[in-house]
Amino acid sequence: MDNMHRRVVITSIGVISSLGFTIEEIIGNLKNEKTSFERSFFDNDVVISPINGFDVKDFAGHFKDRRYLNRGAQFCVASAIEAVKKAGIDKKLLAEAGLFLGTGPNLDIGGEFPDVKGGEIDRRDLMALWMLKFLPNTAASVIAKLAGIHGENQTLTTACSASLQAVGEAFRKIRDGYIDLAFAGGGDSRLSKSSILAYKKAQALCDGTGKPERAIRPFDRSRNGFVPGEGGAFFLLEELQHAEKRGAVIYGEICGYGASIDGYSMTAPEPDGIWAERAVNAALREAELAPSDIDVISSHGTGTLLNDSMEAALIDRVYGKRSPFIIALKSWIGHIAAACGAVELAICLACMKYNYLPKIKNLDKPCHTGLNFVREGRRCSTDNILLENFGFGGQNSALIVRKY
Amino acid sequence: MDILEEITEILAEILDIENHNISPETYLIRELGAESIDLLELAVAINSGFNIDVNDDEIFLRKLRDYITEAEQQNKNILQYLVKNLPFLSHKRLENIIADLEGGPTLKVKDLISYIEWQNHGT
Repeated sequence: MDNMHRRVVITSIGVISSLGFTIEEIIGNLKNEKTSFERSFFDNDVVISPINGFDVKDFAGHFKDRRYLNRGAQFCVASAIEAVKKAGIDKKLLAEAGLFLGTGPNLDIGGEFPDVKGGEIDRRDLMALWMLKFLPNTAASVIAKLAGIHGENQTLTTACSASLQAVGEAFRKIRDGYIDLAFAGGGDSRLSKSSILAYKKAQALCDGTGKPERAIRPFDRSRNGFVPGEGGAFFLLEELQHAEKRGAVIYGEICGYGASIDGYSMTAPEPDGIWAERAVNAALREAELAPSDIDVISSHGTGTLLNDSMEAALIDRVYGKRSPFIIALKSWIGHIAAACGAVELAICLACMKYNYLPKIKNLDKPCHTGLNFVREGRRCSTDNILLENFGFGGQNSALIVRKY
Repeated sequence: MDILEEITEILAEILDIENHNISPETYLIRELGAESIDLLELAVAINSGFNIDVNDDEIFLRKLRDYITEAEQQNKNILQYLVKNLPFLSHKRLENIIADLEGGPTLKVKDLISYIEWQNHGT
């Protein structure tokens, strides 16, 4: 087949989020405003969005390599195995499939080394292969072993842009003819004591002294930081004819992807989003779409002062007076770090299938005029959704999904 | 908790299996499918749990077949040679092991217990 005409569709969704474990459950909880925001049990000033009662065994069964998975990697494995099960493909196809993941660092330092002093980490009870809990590709190794996946593989560690980039990289590998199918996504969790400490010291978390469900306020003038969350999502990406030939259910088409790096600051985004815009424009160009073709932007919308003002300026510049609907899913699930893009994509696919757009929670006074923020949940049929994710280190990514 | 109970807990945790699958007569490799990285973790867990210094080669009978070859090459009695090199195992157990060699890796849960008891009694 001519590579110019290869199209890539999504034929399986495995998602583990605080809004639910299927897209139906997610839509239901969006409409009923059922979120999991609560105060952290070890720090009263911090609000989190946990998935209480999560156990990777419920999704992947018993497997001894579980001992090497940090909690974020457990979400990776659980959601990937969900996607594999729901894909309903045989062993031969699984063996051909690629595997593309976005993962974060294991910030649960205290869990592994509770009493480290002067760099002395040696303890009698330290596992022989404790380093596996810190290697970013451990999740990939476990997923491949459990599912029998043997194709092209990449683990991306580009901070909060990682899992959207994993989907984008898999999309391009399939479109360009290197592989016909791939599982792509990511999982992460940053709710441990040392993770919270890291974000607190970086002054990225919001003031959690009020009502937990009011803490994160993307694009609101009174916003003051994000709420950390956890979860994971994986997708089976497949070349269109390959999917049609086996009669697969198609949840949407991926038609464009772009990425860039700011080269500006270690944590803050470049204030005008000029390099982030490059990622957005690359995705539009790849999808052969004009800005006016985009119906909905799933914003990164962290609720931090710097991200939201940069992102609002960027959207204003790209779309001008014809602002698409803007949603901010972190106001529902918190910020899942490396996995935010994958989980937000799963929610976007749910919204696309069920013709629904959730409001941006806690948006009372928008920080930017002229933008079409979704202020009330609404029925809405959408053809093209553009997802944006930006990460520490100036990582930028954009992905476009189209209704199929 | 006696040694069997504790070693059962450790094996169940490392191999992610149920306790009732483990008895003194259970083969670690043949039946429980323990791989080399599992034995690495097992050595660490036994060191820590029983406060002893495990010699991996000894406790997991890694040199068993080398000892047998050496005995044969030196025209020595195999059983006597094994008694000398694996002093934590009884004559009877070593006889069983020699009879069981063709079945695959002979390491059983009770061999770990023998090793731990032998270490505890200050060799």
